[in-house]
Amino acid sequence: MSSEQTSPRSGAGGVAGAGPPSAAPVVGHGTAADGDVVLQVKDLRTWFYMEEGIAKAVDGVSWGLPRGKTLALVGESGCGKSVTALSIMRLVPDPPGRIVGGQVLLEGRDLLALAEAQMRRIRGNRIAMIFQEPMTSLNPVFTVGNQIVEAIELHQNIRGRAAWRLAVEMLQRVGIPAPAQRVHEYPHQLSGGMRQRVMIAMALSCHPDVLIADEPTTALDVTIQAQILDLLRKLQAETGMSILLITHDLGVVAEIADEVCVMYASRIVERAGVHELFGNPRHPYTRGLFRSMPRLAAHKDRLEVIPGSVPNPLHFPSGCKFHPRCALAPGCERCRSEDPPLVEHGPGHWVACWKADQASCR
Amino acid sequence: MGVSSVQPATVQPSADHSLLKVEDLRTWFPVRRGFFSRVRDYVRAVDGVSFRIASGCTLGLVGESGCGKTTVGRTILRLIPATGGRVWFDGRDVFALGRSELRALRRQMQIIFQDPVGSLNPRMTVETIVGEALTVHGIARGRARRERVAELLERVGLSPSHMTRYPHEFSGGQRQRIGIARALALNPRLIVCDEPVSALDVSIQSQILNLLADLQDEMHLSYLFIAHNLAVVEHFSDDVAVMYLGRIVETATAREIYANPRHPYTQALLSAAPEPDPGRRRARVVLPGEVPSPIAPPPGCHFHPRCPLAVDTCRREAPALRQVTGAPPGHLAACHRAEELRPHLIEELLAVQTPSGLPR
Repeated sequence: MSSEQTSPRSGAGGVAGAGPPSAAPVVGHGTAADGDVVLQVKDLRTWFYMEEGIAKAVDGVSWGLPRGKTLALVGESGCGKSVTALSIMRLVPDPPGRIVGGQVLLEGRDLLALAEAQMRRIRGNRIAMIFQEPMTSLNPVFTVGNQIVEAIELHQNIRGRAAWRLAVEMLQRVGIPAPAQRVHEYPHQLSGGMRQRVMIAMALSCHPDVLIADEPTTALDVTIQAQILDLLRKLQAETGMSILLITHDLGVVAEIADEVCVMYASRIVERAGVHELFGNPRHPYTRGLFRSMPRLAAHKDRLEVIPGSVPNPLHFPSGCKFHPRCALAPGCERCRSEDPPLVEHGPGHWVACWKADQASCR
Repeated sequence: MGVSSVQPATVQPSADHSLLKVEDLRTWFPVRRGFFSRVRDYVRAVDGVSFRIASGCTLGLVGESGCGKTTVGRTILRLIPATGGRVWFDGRDVFALGRSELRALRRQMQIIFQDPVGSLNPRMTVETIVGEALTVHGIARGRARRERVAELLERVGLSPSHMTRYPHEFSGGQRQRIGIARALALNPRLIVCDEPVSALDVSIQSQILNLLADLQDEMHLSYLFIAHNLAVVEHFSDDVAVMYLGRIVETATAREIYANPRHPYTQALLSAAPEPDPGRRRARVVLPGEVPSPIAPPPGCHFHPRCPLAVDTCRREAPALRQVTGAPPGHLAACHRAEELRPHLIEELLAVQTPSGLPR
């Protein structure tokens, strides 16, 4: 399963793709080489040029999002998962941020090579995004209806009353009661869960191929979180959209993801299908995350910990960036000096660890 | 408004060994509206809450946002005035204390906040933050204070050399450690932990939870542990109280409440909590509707509009928090139908088959 196939799949006018020079043959990036991949990220590098130095927020990340499926990027704060999403949308604040390398292929077309005007037709239309805090992404001085209609009119050939009808229909689809009245309300009149539903309605009003959901339930209560996850699943089944889920919550990942990429310090350290990853985590960081989580009905006296804290992107450690916190690293010269590539250790299970073979099941 | 002016500071002849005893606590916030901004309504943030915490034990207070759990913690510490009810700390009526007595009591009752950024003054050094209370209470100054702060920092896993630094130089987990050191400075007996790990990364959460557990063992601390994460609360608490709309709807030992929940809301909460196990991705409970406004709570049982078991009685009469017949002593629930609730009943009644299709 070599992942370094440079050929974009569809002929959607892709920019003449001088793919990145192939690395070692087996050593790949863990991208799905087969199947129907709607969105593919190849060797993405997004760096921030700060006064203190260069923060490599995303540094060589590759994955493929299969059509109609959900791929989760999971990791702790500062691991680069949100910057990956912003890079796909080309919304990285520049300066100080810059995408310095890689490709983002939407059905084979490299979004990073598009002119800004072309990109505007992709954003919100082919790829839509919802955020953690819906209040900050909704405009407080316009009604919910105004904002959905604006999105519809901007991207589709639907105007006026027809657009309003569609807005009401969208609100109904995302489970907002009395949508014909709610459409005239302002964001502050809605609860947090309702606002997130409005964001989803807006995002889906243009039938995107890909929905990027950046911590969509983190700000919500448990029972409301369950409602929103359920809604996303239902809408995905209806529309066949693909979801890129960005989260720190392994519980949410277990609920709705098909594929999982675990990120640590700007790189993917492990990638696998959700059942494989949760059943057989191979990277010491992934296993540490699982072990340190308190679980219902586990009745353990002490939690296991990952010592230390997430490194600062301005001062990443040498070699494997996880080695200062890793139980397997002491005494390993290679862990200290060489950054391990993402290598396939089982069908579809990719791990970036020199000692992945020693890492036993949890 | 409060009861504080009425009662003298009596020592309660208490038979039990509770360090903290809360009785019928009420905290209402006035809602002012209209001309002359008259008080039209009250937000009943806390509306008749009672519990006790034994010395050296942890009570977990769990509930969704707006249920009043944070207000309970702050009212107990008298950071917010109470509207009614009593709080006894070590046999003393907290709401009846005068200024100087209250100040003395504050040494024994401390708080740790959720937001380790907002709760530390960015212009103060760590030494000042941790040592401020030592000066205020006239316990130590100068070199003695520095020594005590160094000791506290070591105790929470920081280095004494961090003393001269400012909060922004620390990571989230380290800042929470500073907040804990500050709370420990006066050798308290009770610490209100208000969502102490919710803002932290997963790998840091367990470090802080273990630290709090170690401190409890060594210093015989009692905790009121306020959180929304059920797994964290279960792991950390001896007893758990579940709040909904200003009231406690169920309380029992941590094991009992998770093994055998007797209130429909508790069952729904437990079922809704996402578990890190895709193999158990199941027909989950999706509780309909949202938490109603605490200004105009529904009549009868506050939970009845969302409850699949609600009958006429539930719409008329507010259920009292009472011992559940057949459950171990101390397992209380505020539900007319608690005895009928076998485990997973709500899950079965509300189950929604996931459209994406099990199995995957």
